[in-house]
Amino acid sequence: MPTIVTRIPASATLVMMLADARLPVGGHVHSAGLEPALAAGMPANRVFDYLLGRAHSVSLVEAGTAVVARHVALPATADSVAAGLAAVESAWAARTPSRALREVSRSLGRGYLRLGTRLWPGHPGIDACSAAPSPLSRPVVLGAIAAAANLDAESLVRLVIYDDAQTVAAALLKLAPIDPAIPAGWVLRACGEVDHLVAAIAALTSPDAIPASGAPQTEEWAESHSLTTQRLFRA
Amino acid sequence: MPESNSTRSLRLGIAGPVGTGKSSLIATICRALSDELRLGVITNDIYTDEDARFLRSAGVLDPERIRAVETGACPHTAIRDDITVNLLAVEDLERDFALLDVVLIESGGDNLTATFSPALVDAQIFVLDVAGGGDVARKGGPGIARADLLVVNKTDLAPYVGVDVPTMVADARAARDGGEVLALSRTDAASVAELRAWVLRLLAAHRSGFHVPQDPGPMAPHFHADDDGGALHAHADGDHEHSHPGADRTHAH
Repeated sequence: MPTIVTRIPASATLVMMLADARLPVGGHVHSAGLEPALAAGMPANRVFDYLLGRAHSVSLVEAGTAVVARHVALPATADSVAAGLAAVESAWAARTPSRALREVSRSLGRGYLRLGTRLWPGHPGIDACSAAPSPLSRPVVLGAIAAAANLDAESLVRLVIYDDAQTVAAALLKLAPIDPAIPAGWVLRACGEVDHLVAAIAALTSPDAIPASGAPQTEEWAESHSLTTQRLFRA
Repeated sequence: MPESNSTRSLRLGIAGPVGTGKSSLIATICRALSDELRLGVITNDIYTDEDARFLRSAGVLDPERIRAVETGACPHTAIRDDITVNLLAVEDLERDFALLDVVLIESGGDNLTATFSPALVDAQIFVLDVAGGGDVARKGGPGIARADLLVVNKTDLAPYVGVDVPTMVADARAARDGGEVLALSRTDAASVAELRAWVLRLLAAHRSGFHVPQDPGPMAPHFHADDDGGALHAHADGDHEHSHPGADRTHAH
């Protein structure tokens, strides 16, 4: 059996583990929309622009969702956590109009929850995710894990933005390989471009305040991708 | 590790290089056993849902019971290092069609080192075929040497590719230290009957608690000296005890 985490490590350690591609949550089957984008004809030499676009749009929706879910899952009783997370999930879903993307995120959320229930069993946030009538999205589950693991809100925001960018970069090296040092630099630049927004997003506490900066083209690409039978990545 | 829940099936992995007949083997098992067992199938395709579509079109099982997962160009990872997507797919299938007796999980065709984690499957079959070359069995590797069963497939093609089946099977038995090898052709009813009997024996052993999942391991077998002269064995991941095939001793790694 895995060791239950009782002595909480520092946020820096948690964020490293959660950002690590080796985290066993099934993340390796995702490309953060890159495979759908390239399949739809986006040139591979526009991937840095794609990264910047995501950092300013969907990454902020995801980060805001995770932060508010963390806030909701922090104190209180299991009942209010469940209702609170449901409200966050609804707010996230309203900002994610593509059914395909919602399904993908909820499937990834189940991977995170599998890990969360093994490492932090009994935490009200984790228990509320497990008891939800249907699977919760990846940012909501990640927020609950952040609450359980005592990960601070700013680290959580940076984690979400970084993870999205790095997922694109790693997928690029499979789909249209270039010198791997180049996308590594892009990831840092994209994260740097939105770093001034981190504190404001980390301070969010209400589902209504979650950024609504979607990326409709990405949504359309994701819908098409969900119907193809020729794909390496789930999304 | 296996979850303790009431809908838990026997999870049987099918691994082996591309084109050796993994999908066909699954179709054969379904044909031979779908009347008496409740079966489900998960495929891990590399780039398409070709295998899932092949199995659905083969008409050997309700198409709803055959599901495909993506592997992000890492079929090896999806069955060994990070098995999350496969575990979720198996659990969904077991829930949606409870109770299933056996879920067959087909790996994406990979190289000779790809084997399943014992946290995903209870047992695994490694598949080679005569058309891939009579010498492949001698090359060994964790799947060839230590999967629960090694299948030498497409024996009906042997005359056309210049392979002597008894020699290839003898090589395989030697590589497996006497472990089970099945020379199979879907056109050879006797060999299909042997396959069917093997699955039923495994299921009985699983249900009686006698069968313990073993990791074929990523490492080549190596020699440990001791007072009795030593034993050739393979390390598996994690701390556990296991018995060595062909040796009457058990110890913990």
